[in-house]
Amino acid sequence: MIEITLEVNGVKKTLSVEPRRLLADVLRHEFGMSGVHIGCAHGACGCCTVHLDGTPRLSCLTFAVQCDNSSISTVESLGGTTADHPLQKAFRSEHGLQCGYCTPGFLMTLVPFVDEMVIQKRIPEDEEIREAMSGNICRCTGYHGIVSAVRKAVTDGLKSGAA
Amino acid sequence: MRPASFEYHRATSLDHALELLHQFGDEGRPIAGGQSLVPMMNFRLARPGHLVDINRLPLNVIEIDGPVLRIGALTRHIAYFDNPLIAKYFPAFLDAVHYIGHPTIRRNGSIGGSISHADPTAELPAVAVLYDADIVVRSLETTRKINAAEFFLSAYVTALEPGEMVVAIEFPLPPEAYTGSFVELSERSGDFGMASIGITLEFADGAITKAAMVCSGADLFPIRAPEIEEYLVGKPLASPGSAEAGAIFAASIDPADDHIASAEYRRGLIAELTRRAIDIACTRALERS
Repeated sequence: MIEITLEVNGVKKTLSVEPRRLLADVLRHEFGMSGVHIGCAHGACGCCTVHLDGTPRLSCLTFAVQCDNSSISTVESLGGTTADHPLQKAFRSEHGLQCGYCTPGFLMTLVPFVDEMVIQKRIPEDEEIREAMSGNICRCTGYHGIVSAVRKAVTDGLKSGAA
Repeated sequence: MRPASFEYHRATSLDHALELLHQFGDEGRPIAGGQSLVPMMNFRLARPGHLVDINRLPLNVIEIDGPVLRIGALTRHIAYFDNPLIAKYFPAFLDAVHYIGHPTIRRNGSIGGSISHADPTAELPAVAVLYDADIVVRSLETTRKINAAEFFLSAYVTALEPGEMVVAIEFPLPPEAYTGSFVELSERSGDFGMASIGITLEFADGAITKAAMVCSGADLFPIRAPEIEEYLVGKPLASPGSAEAGAIFAASIDPADDHIASAEYRRGLIAELTRRAIDIACTRALERS
């Protein structure tokens, strides 16, 4: 067992973990972050995407021991139980989800992309949005709703920035 | 699935990493981005007894050193997209990077990891073979440079000995009038490629003076195509005979059947990708002439 300190969604905790434990499992079981979904556990589906020191990372391809003294954000950090982050609202209004299993991964992958587009003050082409989310698999929506949601979130972000 | 037990060690310097790898021999593996190693461990296809975490070592530089561009083993794939040296000297390399996994994998995966893993469909091993790169390998006692053509021995098998670690890849800098391209086809964007072709060309007075070509998908590791490299010399850039080159090359290889594509499909695909790669490289050469 190795002692590590992780800051998860702003809360620091020191705990002992076996080296083989995946970050995804530790976030779910030790931190109670059940929004971290595990779809494939080999880096193909993107459901377990979290931010490690601000950068999207597949938590099923990361050992918790590697993250000692790191800061991690999960989907719970976005809009809480009311899911009121602008991208979450856009997913609702544009039918960007159905069963919702893949949604936390899509959100954690796409929030930095949306933020970047707003900073660059441009609405991305659909092809660019699809490339940004190419590491995430959704079985319900056929992706069109998710592309619309991203476009809407960027558009809304640009409007509120201009206002 | 979940990985088997192992012991974890965080290397604090390159020497420390090499000492640990020396100590653990066969049982030790360096871990960088983990984008290939951890899936293998989750499936229990890899069960290293000791992981040496090298992520905090300063091995992520891209720099010109005399006649070569040296890329540190920990350079993440995303770093190539806005690197002017890659864009200027290694266009086929830049093309190839677009086919690596997807954005999250590109932010975390490293060149040393991809080269050491030696997946037969991976892009960076093919790029290293195309450009005649040297793989710089360190152990506690030795440093050696292994030409890419001698480094990849089979699928997931390299010339690395226990205790050794890839620390950099050195790409010879090309001459001025030089271009290239890389094309790949996979079932979905970011999937393992069914086949890929890389081309580099030197040219003068509207004709090809020297060519190199690499193919993944024809064998268990990326192979060069000496017959086509010779065939292309002297061909005009405006009509390089790319379709014929594709047909000649496809007739010379013996690809395997697998669950994704039949050998015949793959042979046809390789012929077509060869044509496309040559045409794209020649178009770029004409734009630069």
